[in-house]
Amino acid sequence: MTALGSADAAAFLYREALLLDRGDYDAWLELYTPDCLFWMPAWRDDGTQTEDPDRELSLIFYRGRRNLEDRVQRIRSPVSAASRVMPRVAHMIGNVLAEPVDGGTRVRIDSSFIVNVQDIRSHRTHAYFGRYEHELRLENGAWKISQKIIRLMNDVVPTMVDVYGI
Amino acid sequence: MLKRFALRDLVDDRPQDGVFRINRAMFRDPELFALEMKYVFEGGWVFVGLASQAGNPHDYFTGSIGRVPIVVSRDGKGELRCFVNACPHKGVRLVQKLCGNASRHVCPYHAWTFDSAGVNRFIKWRSGGCYAAGFEQENHDLASVARFGEYRGFLFASLNPNVPSLEEFLGETRKLLDLVVDKSPDGIELVPGRVCFTYQANWKMQLENCADQYHFTSTHPSYIRILEQRAREQAAEVVRSTLGGTSFWQEEASGIVGGSCSFDHGHALNWGIMPVSNDQPDFERAEGLAREHGVAKRNWMFNMRNVTIFPNLQIAENASSQMRVIRPIAPDLTEMQTWCIAPKGESARARTLRIRQYEDFFNPTGMATPDDTVCYEEAQYGMAEQERPWLQGHARGFAASVAGGNNYVDLIDLKPARSVLSNASLADESLFASYYRAWAARMAEALT
Repeated sequence: MTALGSADAAAFLYREALLLDRGDYDAWLELYTPDCLFWMPAWRDDGTQTEDPDRELSLIFYRGRRNLEDRVQRIRSPVSAASRVMPRVAHMIGNVLAEPVDGGTRVRIDSSFIVNVQDIRSHRTHAYFGRYEHELRLENGAWKISQKIIRLMNDVVPTMVDVYGI
Repeated sequence: MLKRFALRDLVDDRPQDGVFRINRAMFRDPELFALEMKYVFEGGWVFVGLASQAGNPHDYFTGSIGRVPIVVSRDGKGELRCFVNACPHKGVRLVQKLCGNASRHVCPYHAWTFDSAGVNRFIKWRSGGCYAAGFEQENHDLASVARFGEYRGFLFASLNPNVPSLEEFLGETRKLLDLVVDKSPDGIELVPGRVCFTYQANWKMQLENCADQYHFTSTHPSYIRILEQRAREQAAEVVRSTLGGTSFWQEEASGIVGGSCSFDHGHALNWGIMPVSNDQPDFERAEGLAREHGVAKRNWMFNMRNVTIFPNLQIAENASSQMRVIRPIAPDLTEMQTWCIAPKGESARARTLRIRQYEDFFNPTGMATPDDTVCYEEAQYGMAEQERPWLQGHARGFAASVAGGNNYVDLIDLKPARSVLSNASLADESLFASYYRAWAARMAEALT
């Protein structure tokens, strides 16, 4: 078992971003552990985010990859008006800081993101931005995402945003 | 007075001929929009928030009535007040934060200071200011809104003093608010976490959609397929849906599945039969609620109920429980402020289930609302001026609509102005007439 260095950690995040940008959702889902946490908190007020997902509202809160599979199924469904004309997206990730946890069996990665979205249907562009908090775990010799927290700084969602736009 | 449109050009309301139609100009015209702000939103009662959003002395939250910024503040004695959120000096917005607690509000520009009751406590360099008599005679306190009232924690305000009492305005819909509040002896609260989104379409698209049973199976099939799949697989990690075990929305359901009610002053209810089932977080209280309120009222608490209090409050109890506030920004831009509304004191397990069900369905980052808002935007394209101005979306159920209630709503002593009982494929649209009659009544001053 080898610890994941900063450069490798950054490369891992870039790869996840690339899969979303390319719309390769099957490969994207493969990056996650079956029991993964996928969490985007909401804002409680001007300055604080919700912290307890069991008592407070989140924008997205999933425990289990199965939920992300549902999202992908809906995105691919021909009967979702919001997904019929797929927006073009480009993720930019920076400020990557990796820190080993539990003697290197897990790694926590902080990063910043901007996702530019071209919504073809409505001829608009949006920029979603914030911070990611990833935690990776070794599963059968491969690093997988066991936790991804998306701290979205945008306060108002223009119409909608799906998992490929954050 | 707007010359281009007369009321009859906008709302074609001829019940004797079996006609109720709306001109699509109402969804796009900038002059009509400005009149709506003045006469609909700034000319009558609108919802401004919940008393629990300012629960303690000096708590406050900000918002708007039409284009006018407001602050709702609980003063030091515990009384709720509602002011225009603008310093009388230069008009600067006094309170910038969404919510908070402050016994004094200091204007960021010239430091005029007001207490939580809106009273001016300080004018900087007043004694040296060489003010003349005219200034001294003016009222320097924050401007109170003309009317401000509460029904069971729901706060409403009007900038126009010439409106009916809040009791009369809400009328029978108070019983629908009771169904929400009475779920707990301690009343309701907002779950922390406010979700705000916009859509590029007219505010009345949202007004209608909440009461639009017709859209559910055609707008949300991607979500329905996921519900069906989840029901088959019973996986532990996905949230249990309230809708999975219900049939009110399904085309093959038999008998009466629900219906609609419309009320004076523009309020409307779309409802559907849902069982008292453990798919709903309120199930833990089902027996106690029946004991306290009777079985019929308890059963109504479990029914799907989408309530609109005209023009800007909607409470949707279906896939979870949501409070929505509609804020029109432009003819083709609307902001939605949304919260999960929940009975106080429910168990941790029930609260978590309610929240998960909410996120799944209601969020703009969820799996249902985006398909609605995208359809609103697609509708906005079709609101462009064209040869045939009249929309055909307010006609279903016309021939089934009756004056008064029916034996279902009798069970909770609800006396609507009109009602429709629906089988599976009726999906009434005639209740929308209630919105547009109230709209016309508020706009009558500006349109002939």
